[in-house]
Amino acid sequence: MKRNYLGWTVSLAAAGLMLPLARTPATAQDPQIQVTGKVITPPGAVAPKGLPPAGPKGPVPRMPDGKPDFSGIWNGQRALPNQEPPVMLPWAEKLTAERTNNYSADDPEARCLPGGVPRAAPYHYQLVQTPKLLLMLVEGNIHTYRQMFLDRREHLKITEPLWYGDSIGSWDGETLVVDTAGFNEKFWFDMAGHPHTTQLHVVERYHRRDFGNLDIGITIEDPGTYSKPWVIQRVSSLETGIEMSEYVCNENNSDVLHLVGK
Amino acid sequence: MRTGWGVLVACPILLALVLPALAHHSFEAEYDFNKTLKVTGTVTKMEWMNPHAHFYLDVKDASGKVTNWNFELGAIPVLLKQGWRKDSLKQGDQVTVEGYLPKDGTKSMANARRVTLPDGRRVFGGSSADVADK
Repeated sequence: MKRNYLGWTVSLAAAGLMLPLARTPATAQDPQIQVTGKVITPPGAVAPKGLPPAGPKGPVPRMPDGKPDFSGIWNGQRALPNQEPPVMLPWAEKLTAERTNNYSADDPEARCLPGGVPRAAPYHYQLVQTPKLLLMLVEGNIHTYRQMFLDRREHLKITEPLWYGDSIGSWDGETLVVDTAGFNEKFWFDMAGHPHTTQLHVVERYHRRDFGNLDIGITIEDPGTYSKPWVIQRVSSLETGIEMSEYVCNENNSDVLHLVGK
Repeated sequence: MRTGWGVLVACPILLALVLPALAHHSFEAEYDFNKTLKVTGTVTKMEWMNPHAHFYLDVKDASGKVTNWNFELGAIPVLLKQGWRKDSLKQGDQVTVEGYLPKDGTKSMANARRVTLPDGRRVFGGSSADVADK
């Protein structure tokens, strides 16, 4: 598997130069166990809050018909800061609070089940575009794919609700508008545990700002859960010189036995 | 071949700032931020699997009894990005690990937050403590 770590090496080396390198004497000659009870690093201090590094500049690649070509490997979508929180119906607010207060121990994603739409994962995704179909190959949480049909104007009649729903795409100028419906209720939108019903309807607006930067506007409509549409703005940047890694979540999901929550 | 360690030597907080989120599951559903652990021992195995890599360490206590500990690392795509490889820890390596104990009281198991190599270099564990998938 080829991977280009140059960018990361530079970033991390730069980070390292800003601090004295840790040179704690090793204690290998005196094996011991210490239970200190001291927090090594406060969780709030380490949660990544920043946006992904900006992708390379340059012109937007085009399909033969002149439409933007979204093909490429993108890093996990990250929400822009300071966005409006969702306005939930009382049952949804109560359920989300219960899930959050229990440290999301029951999250389906932790059982290697699909994340659904529009859950963001910290792993890469690859877009492969053809004139009639845009494929989203998802590195993780489970190694899977989404199909976004560009040549169909109507949704399928879904008889069995789906984890990823039925996605159809159309163009609004330079923006690809992906409309998805037909969801099951099984997935959570995020680790906070925001729920939904089968009335869920998601619209994603993909705009390739330049060669290496993608803006994703998301509107979540679900009158069974939210009293008004929940709008989220995310970004991804292009990863060049790498290939997707193989992430088979169920290979060794030993964590599930230990997810006790509170 | 011990590739990639150079890029790992830095303050974990700074590293976390430039890393993507690592979430597969909620860290606090499984581990206790207030129950930290520091052990020194000998690497017996690296388990290069998803959703999290693990390595195992033979740890000798004060009475001389040896126990094999299981340490969880981050997910492989994230570890690769940090410079970890399947052979980054070799059988027989002496390392010190700082991490977090599980809430359910499982013995000899922890989440690795920092790993200190025999020469004193401290490397980031790709721990799922650095979770945020919002």
